[in-house]
Amino acid sequence: MGLRNDITNAPVSDLPLREVMSVPPTATCRQAVATMRDKRLGYVLILDDAGRISGMFTERHLIKLLLADPKQLDDPIDKHMSRSDKSVRQDAPIATVIEKLQSLEWRFVCVVDEQGKAVGVTGQRGAMEYLADHFPRQVKVQKMKSKLFMDQREGA
Amino acid sequence: MVRRKRRGTQEGEYQDPLKDYSPATYADELERSLCESDITEMEIKPFLAIDPGTSVEETMRLMDKIGIACLVVTEGDKLVGIFSERDILNKVAEQYEQIKDGPVRDVMTPNPVSVYETDSPAQAMNLMAVSGFRHIPILDLDENVVGILGPRRVTAFVQKHFEEA
Repeated sequence: MGLRNDITNAPVSDLPLREVMSVPPTATCRQAVATMRDKRLGYVLILDDAGRISGMFTERHLIKLLLADPKQLDDPIDKHMSRSDKSVRQDAPIATVIEKLQSLEWRFVCVVDEQGKAVGVTGQRGAMEYLADHFPRQVKVQKMKSKLFMDQREGA
Repeated sequence: MVRRKRRGTQEGEYQDPLKDYSPATYADELERSLCESDITEMEIKPFLAIDPGTSVEETMRLMDKIGIACLVVTEGDKLVGIFSERDILNKVAEQYEQIKDGPVRDVMTPNPVSVYETDSPAQAMNLMAVSGFRHIPILDLDENVVGILGPRRVTAFVQKHFEEA
């Protein structure tokens, strides 16, 4: 089976990767939110001086922050970001990413090189686009909302 | 004037209109299922629906408590909008204190793109992968909301096929 083989064998770098959108640890949450909004992304990475990931801030963190106290938008982002390592090596098989998205319910996955430096971000959306690319005829050309029957009679 | 002789069947002779029909062929069961099955073969439930008069804060607390990124806004069972984490980022974050007690109707995305439960999974995937919608409400033929589809449910559908193969 082609898709199954590709997911098992192809590297993560074959997935559609989003750019590494980052802010420094000293940035405020408000600055991070503005960056996410400008770039139309659901995450922002917090990188150290060497370009390694020290955290991630997502729309999910934003909800928690607003519900707790919206004044925290002016806090430094490292008070509210997640420090868990949600990264995979770019040469790991795509199946690794799919597994983490499904079983660990990750939404974003940082893709890193051999030195641990971030090279891109993928996630549920990237996996979706990869699947769609495998079925261009079936998925990419579609007629929407086809009802089984007509609302009105056709013709004059 | 030379009159051309009519070719083809004699009057009254039956000709099968489907004699040259060849059914679609698929490389595997997953491809067949993407094109020929209904969206209901994917996991489209559970989903959360709220009234458009629900406050923004209450809606966000629900999303946070259940851990969902998106919910549908309905009047009766009819779809009127969708409210997602992206709406919070774009419309709520900077003015949360001013609008938290207001109705979600003011900040939801009205009239979202949807598909029918009789559409194929490929049609929903098209909207997600090509048009960029992360969540697609699913309607029955009476236009009532019966589910919602997100990317995780699509990858689960593909994984299920791998396990069954």
